[in-house]
Amino acid sequence: MKRREFIKTVGATSLLSVPYMNFGKGKNAGARMIVLGFDGMDPQIVNHLMRKGKLPNMQKLANQGVFTMMKTTIPPQSPVAWSSFITGADPGKYGIFDFVHRDPLTYFPMFSQSATTDSSWNIKLGKYDIPLKSGEVQLKREGKAFWDYLEEIDVDATIFKIPGNYPPSKSKQRTIAGMGTPDITGGYGMYSLYTDDDEESSFENEKKLSPSKLFYVYVEEDNTVKAELIGPENSLLRRDLEDDTNALEEEENSRNIKIPFTVYLDNKNKTARIDIDGKEILIAEKEYSNWVEIDFPLIPNVSSIAGMVKFYLLNMGEKFRLYVSPIHISPNNPALPISTPESYSKELSDKTGLFHTISLPADTKALSQGTFSMENFIVQSLSVFDESDKIFDYEFNRFLNHKEDFLYFYFSALDQSQHMIWALTDKSHPYYHQKEAEQFGFIKEYLYTKHDEILGKVLRQVPKDVKIMLVSDHGFAPFKRKVYINTWLAQEGYLVPEQKDSFSEDGYIYDNAPADWSKTKAYGMGLNGLYINLAGREGHGIVKPDEKRKLLEELKYKLEHIKDPKTGETIISEAFISEDNFSSDYLNRAPDIILGFKRGYRIGDTSAIGGIRKEVFYDNNDWWSGDHCMNPAHVPASFLANFKINKQIPSLKDMAPTILKTFGIDTPATMSGQSLI
Amino acid sequence: MAKKAKLTKETFEKAEEIISFHGYSSLDELVENLINSEFEKIKSDDNDTEEQADKLTGLGYIS
Repeated sequence: MKRREFIKTVGATSLLSVPYMNFGKGKNAGARMIVLGFDGMDPQIVNHLMRKGKLPNMQKLANQGVFTMMKTTIPPQSPVAWSSFITGADPGKYGIFDFVHRDPLTYFPMFSQSATTDSSWNIKLGKYDIPLKSGEVQLKREGKAFWDYLEEIDVDATIFKIPGNYPPSKSKQRTIAGMGTPDITGGYGMYSLYTDDDEESSFENEKKLSPSKLFYVYVEEDNTVKAELIGPENSLLRRDLEDDTNALEEEENSRNIKIPFTVYLDNKNKTARIDIDGKEILIAEKEYSNWVEIDFPLIPNVSSIAGMVKFYLLNMGEKFRLYVSPIHISPNNPALPISTPESYSKELSDKTGLFHTISLPADTKALSQGTFSMENFIVQSLSVFDESDKIFDYEFNRFLNHKEDFLYFYFSALDQSQHMIWALTDKSHPYYHQKEAEQFGFIKEYLYTKHDEILGKVLRQVPKDVKIMLVSDHGFAPFKRKVYINTWLAQEGYLVPEQKDSFSEDGYIYDNAPADWSKTKAYGMGLNGLYINLAGREGHGIVKPDEKRKLLEELKYKLEHIKDPKTGETIISEAFISEDNFSSDYLNRAPDIILGFKRGYRIGDTSAIGGIRKEVFYDNNDWWSGDHCMNPAHVPASFLANFKINKQIPSLKDMAPTILKTFGIDTPATMSGQSLI
Repeated sequence: MAKKAKLTKETFEKAEEIISFHGYSSLDELVENLINSEFEKIKSDDNDTEEQADKLTGLGYIS
């Protein structure tokens, strides 16, 4: 029996004695706390804007307590950093070291945060394959979350979208999954673009937009457009009934559930009506619609998957261009677990309206791929921010009304936007565009001030005894040059490509053996990772365990001396040897070396999945022009609080112990962070 | 060919709990099932380079 249930059973008289008797832990009566998580909020920018008087609320908070930079994790990637926040430990304790890990047996890249397994028990009924047991989504983050400790002493908590918690770990607290949550196709944001532009709908562009979908459509003489929304694959359809003829004629999306829709254009008034799934949606040109719920039938009248999308009419008149967002899991009837208790997502939706559930909701790739203009992206980003703001108001009111004693609330907008708008204010960036810079150069400062206003609401309304922390997971830096580390390893003889055409210009390697493993000593995978091809650990490892340390030190030295031919400067300020920096619990999942790039450098696109290109260095000609996957010392996080702390420079892993201490819980032995109070 | 494996007392107790919870008929069946399930994971879709590339593209980190 869980402690909370026990207390309810034995009645209120035993409430005070049970925690001390059974757990040796206390509860600070009346303690309350709010934590705002602003992903990617950079302390240098905060400092700069504070001095200009642009962040009055952050200034006020700093005056009450503290504003300082905070140590982030090695490497400073969001799933790694927020997991440290959650568990009060270093990555070795919770087993997340990068967005991408590798399977040591097969060398395949694997997504680090969760794993999905299909049901293996099915029954065949007609053309359907019915699972008798549902498949499972497994959270790969190890370690106990701080809100579980709070639960043990009956401190009710709400945790809104903290990254590193999909699927949400089992809990009685109110939690909603954040970064890591897929769309209903299992991807991380595949949008659809419908266009009547011949040039845009070319095969080359279709390939460029993949895995998003591009559809060529006709605008009929009566100003209507008929199209289909491609939904998730119907996993219940039996594959064994697909014959060879079908396979030959099979279109790419033949197993996917399709929902037809019609767009009625009113070019005179620059508006349109979209009829889909029995609903009528009215939108104007350049307007981002409200959420539209759509049922994707698996077996007609028996089973369906609930999804939801937004429409964005990018152009009408001379050109017709309609963007449809990735299909989000509906919080009203989630197809996959996104909250604890399960009813929480529906409660939020009922109270605040439907809300985005996907991992990173602003569509950065739509801008990178040219589907969005900068204006389109900013409109969408602000819409996402406003939606979060509205939900925050609801949760904050609950907090003010003592429904919970702890509230964590996450905002993604600063991180996602800074990735895309960095070049607007950096004339030295290879992708600096004067026109966009003049038009939208204000946006970074504007976004920081919008976040400051969120804090302002809190400062105006919470009682003085409520502790407030405002934290980010990392800062930000320019990303000007892409580094293909496997190419460097090949040039140095540490990696032997299996085929010469592995050096293809697009950098993709689709087979599972990009290297001749019998001759390869090291390979790169992930946004900061480098692995030794270690005998006994990797599928075809050749480096003997007693040779590993020497090789690590040799590589560290050489990596720290790689020079960019364009500048003549070194590019890696520190190559971190994992066994010297992490706890040993889950070290077997870690890269052997974490690449600590200098500001301006990051791993090249396909290098993150083991790819090789012709050259080691390329200019970054992409709107994705800011980043943080570098040496953590160059992109520290931010920390502000309305109380004094006992350390000059805190660390992300100090956050959980500080939260627990606020509520009277001593730092558990599993945590390596320290309470700041 | 049957092979023996040694379990610690704690692990054996956990195994008994799993057997009781999921209704396995024996420890052998549980071990067989777990090994097959782990093997399937190695062969699963999660081990697909293109899919992982799509996920990173979806997040925006690669283009």
